[in-house]
Amino acid sequence: MSRADPFLDIPAPVVGVRLGWRTWAVIVASTALGLFALGWPLLFPAIGVTPQHTADAPFVFAALLPLVVVLVIAQVTEGGLDARSLAVLGVLSAVNAALRPALGAGTAGIESVFFLLILAGRAFGPGFGYLLGFTSMFASALLTAGVGPWLPFQMLCAAWVGLTAGLLPRRVSGRAELAMLVAMGIASAYAYGALMNLWFWPFIATGMESAAGSLDYLPGAPVAENLTRFGWFTLLTSTGGWDTGRALTTSLALVVLGRPVLAVLRRASGIGRVATGDQGRRGSHLIGSPHGSSNPVQARD
Amino acid sequence: MLRSALPRPLHPFAWWGYAIGLAVAASSTTNPLLLAGLIGAAIVVAMSRRGSNPWANSFALYLWLAVFIVVLRVGFRILFGGGDGPTVLLTLPEMPLPSWVRGIRLLGPVSLEAVLAGLYDGLRLATIVVCIGAANSLANPKKLLASLPAALYELGTIMVVAVSALPQLGESLQRVVRARRLRRGSAARSRRDRLRAVETIIVPVLSDALERSLALAASMDVRGYGRSGSGGRRRTLALGLGAIGLLTVWAFRFLAGSPDVRLAGVPIVSVALAAAGLGCGVAALRVAGRSVRRTQYRPIRWRWPETLTVLCGATAVLLVTAVAEPTVVFPAISPFAWPSLTGPLLLALAAAVLPATLTPPPSMPKVAP
Amino acid sequence: MIRFDGVTVRYASSDAVRLRDATFEIPEGELCLVVGPTGSGKSTLLGCINNLVPRFTGGIRTGSIHIDGRDTTLLQPRELATTVGYVGQDPLAGFVTDTVEEELAYSMEQLGYGAAEMRRRVEETLDLLGIADLRDRALRTLSGGQQQRVAIGSVLAVSPRVLVLDEPTSALDPIAAEEVLATVSRLVRDLGTTVVIAEHRMERVIEFADSVLLVGEEVRIGPTREVLAASPVRPPIVDLGVRLGWHPLPLTIREARRAAAEQRRAWLESPPPLPAPAPGGRPVLTAQDVVVRYPQKLAVAGVDLVLRSGGVTALMGRNGCGKSSLLWALHGAGRRDGGTVRPADGARIALVPQTPADLLYLATIAAECAAGDATAGLAPGTTLSLLRRLVPRIEPAAHPRDLSEGQKLAVVLAVELAGDPDVVLLDEPTRGLDYSAKAELRDIIAAMAAEGRSILLATHDVELVADACDRVVVMAEGEVVSDGPTRDVLAGSALLATQVAKLTNPTPVLTVREYLDVAR
Repeated sequence: MSRADPFLDIPAPVVGVRLGWRTWAVIVASTALGLFALGWPLLFPAIGVTPQHTADAPFVFAALLPLVVVLVIAQVTEGGLDARSLAVLGVLSAVNAALRPALGAGTAGIESVFFLLILAGRAFGPGFGYLLGFTSMFASALLTAGVGPWLPFQMLCAAWVGLTAGLLPRRVSGRAELAMLVAMGIASAYAYGALMNLWFWPFIATGMESAAGSLDYLPGAPVAENLTRFGWFTLLTSTGGWDTGRALTTSLALVVLGRPVLAVLRRASGIGRVATGDQGRRGSHLIGSPHGSSNPVQARD
Repeated sequence: MLRSALPRPLHPFAWWGYAIGLAVAASSTTNPLLLAGLIGAAIVVAMSRRGSNPWANSFALYLWLAVFIVVLRVGFRILFGGGDGPTVLLTLPEMPLPSWVRGIRLLGPVSLEAVLAGLYDGLRLATIVVCIGAANSLANPKKLLASLPAALYELGTIMVVAVSALPQLGESLQRVVRARRLRRGSAARSRRDRLRAVETIIVPVLSDALERSLALAASMDVRGYGRSGSGGRRRTLALGLGAIGLLTVWAFRFLAGSPDVRLAGVPIVSVALAAAGLGCGVAALRVAGRSVRRTQYRPIRWRWPETLTVLCGATAVLLVTAVAEPTVVFPAISPFAWPSLTGPLLLALAAAVLPATLTPPPSMPKVAP
Repeated sequence: MIRFDGVTVRYASSDAVRLRDATFEIPEGELCLVVGPTGSGKSTLLGCINNLVPRFTGGIRTGSIHIDGRDTTLLQPRELATTVGYVGQDPLAGFVTDTVEEELAYSMEQLGYGAAEMRRRVEETLDLLGIADLRDRALRTLSGGQQQRVAIGSVLAVSPRVLVLDEPTSALDPIAAEEVLATVSRLVRDLGTTVVIAEHRMERVIEFADSVLLVGEEVRIGPTREVLAASPVRPPIVDLGVRLGWHPLPLTIREARRAAAEQRRAWLESPPPLPAPAPGGRPVLTAQDVVVRYPQKLAVAGVDLVLRSGGVTALMGRNGCGKSSLLWALHGAGRRDGGTVRPADGARIALVPQTPADLLYLATIAAECAAGDATAGLAPGTTLSLLRRLVPRIEPAAHPRDLSEGQKLAVVLAVELAGDPDVVLLDEPTRGLDYSAKAELRDIIAAMAAEGRSILLATHDVELVADACDRVVVMAEGEVVSDGPTRDVLAGSALLATQVAKLTNPTPVLTVREYLDVAR
């Protein structure tokens, strides 16, 4: 055939969500606002400002964060996700939602299993992990009818976990990779628990000056005082129980399933195939394919 | 009979608007009688207008969660003390704690004021939870997804995929577990082998799910998914960042109680910041969604029952926050005064329960073929 | 309507050329049947029509394709959605929403149709495909045939000019397949849509196909009879016609009967000597009064069955009649609520499930085989050498998920056979297999039987049964309704008769090979 023929060359498609500098800008801004929305009870005393309206603050942020989450999602998905990444996101969100026990969506972060989120972030890159954090929590809330003011906070925290997992150093592999992911799993389990507690701590335990309980948030009290109170609150309510349970299940799942599941996920990226009858006889070309171990998002660029 | 009153599902936004109204009303009071009344209204409305869908059954779960919150809140007050008042109900033996545990007391005297403070606070949060539960069981989540702004088109599609993938996952899991039983003869005895068994189930299920998702992606592509160009990127970015920035500043000023210029009693700077932030956000979504051309099949139209339902929620908020007297809305704990309901509060409760009769009943269950 | 000019395709992930220099044209309103041996690139060709290949799969395509006069090189599959409707093999995997109505509306929602227009078209499509009574049903609760009809409806709703069907019935039982193909033929007549279909039950389609596209080393298109005469894969009746030099080549049973009228009369006068089934061996498995009861359903209602060594038994019946439940109950891994299953002294039973991939979880075939050796306590390499005997061309380093359905089946079968079972139960092994894979399966079954094993396979494939089995058990509603030698059961039934048996009726000749043997 002559080279003058129309020539269509499409590289093997990969699963991943590209993060441009615009998206990064929005991610950074929303992360700052998210941390502020979670950490204001401790932040204000630290900069020497006495918070006002403490009773209203949780409601203010409960109203504000949905808008911010929506803006971030709109920015990350802008320009359209390809159908392949979208379908994989949907299926993995469903798996994540199924892994969360039915009661988990009820209140702030009682229980969730992060292992697939971390592995997907690792396999498909930070953009995918970030988005999967949002969609997993949202899917779980929709499926268990658990939509509420806690949802944007959960979504944001889970998205941070997915993003971090995607940003871990690429070169690490083998046992070191697994160890790194397990460490990440344990850290995220406790951090997620503490952050979700921090969100609803002033909500459930705001003491009126006259009648403050000893675990309550005291607006205007020094940061050390409130930190102690929060420390005890979170230790007593969740760190000892739920969070440790979550850290254990996550790390156990990572140790046992980490490598095989990572292999399965990485296979889904970089294979161009429709479900056709004669796809199979393409044989073993996938072994050692260039996309097997590299960052799919980079590979696409 | 009016066409809009025929049996049909109500627009999900109407239910959410109503429930948020009730939740806001509940959040601005600690009067236990009013809170109990709001819980009652939410229960009446949810019970009379929820359909026979799976999400409708979640309501009981929320009621249990509400009970749990009240018990937890009161229990904390009894266990860890605090809010001590003059009226001591009973004295529990206090547990000595090391001195570095600052400010924490275990057990000790339990005062009426402490218990009441816990009860009032807990009841308030419980009411909010029940209102949200009502919205969750009343509003159709699929229609909610379809009504999302166009900029969230991808998110909505991901959710649709997730919701329909879940039952397939269940089937796939059952099949693999059954197939695994064929290897039972050489069953694993050591713990290591048992862990291995988890892998032999998870890996095929996940591979199957991912393979299906690729087939699904092909099918979506073929059927026209994502036939939209990308819109004004730079403008979206500026608007989005502007919204987040403005709202952050506003929230900080609000919480820090920063001084403001008041004009006719309205704090100008605060209002301007909030309005500009929200405006930027809405505009960003508009711009991002402009490129998406997509329509909805059999949309639920917004008719007068929807408007009335939202108005009921708004009326309740208005009556509780603006009309009723603060001493009634926040009954005193110390010294203790019996809570009471006044005219405006009774009206608010009446408004809260009205949607149970104002709205059309949910669609009749179809006869199974 | 569809014009290919020198189209050559190579996937991004491998160097092999999947389609070489395809040049052809399909006129408007025609139904074109695509045939070709395994791996010839049928699916690749169909995918090219709406640019799924290579836009979605990745790869390199040269040459040009014109659909409805428009060059599609620069278009995405989604931009062709209103021109080309594409339906794949497994309808369930392609469903985006979860109820019938929403699925029919999905394409139109994506393309931005108005609400009123959408409503009208959904109602029309519901009637067109005869699925109006299913409108509110959840897609997962439908039967396979209904699901495939919904899938066809969901692409027809936007009235594409071309409908591409890639083996739409390969996952269905014969009755459901009939339902779908009848619908397709009606659409061609009523709507005048151009249809391109790849279908392994060719005999059901060739009647109303206007042309046949043969994909192989070269791609050629032409009138049905002409192309089929030269095709390496063809339905039994056509095969017989070609071998006996009938002219014109018969495409239907009626035409073939006319051509064979003389032969049939001769056989009526003096029945031909037909091979009798070999005597059975010793009983290796005796089941009595087997009952399997699920909460909503009685799946197996008291079945007696004796399997003998060296015997190949087919278990037939419509979907949901209890075939699968019976196999699992016989093996012992499944549920059994009553009756007894007694293997002869020390007889081992193996079962290959319907989706063999469920048992594969390692990264290479070699690893799977090694794991099989380890669990069965065999010398390393036993399973792999067994697999090599079953399918000599298999690559041990390949990933199990990359194999064809037939090869996956072979891997699981090899792992099972390594345990040297006396009874092998196969649950619908022919699902998703094409002609050549079925031929391989038939040889494997014959080899197993020759080793003295007893084989019981659940299947819908009458032609394979006629070729490979010596006994047939037919189930309905959990009970055995007939049980006897293959020839008696198949030839005596209207629904289960092979094509050749329909032709020679009342003389019970089952296969082309038999016909040629006794006619000589």
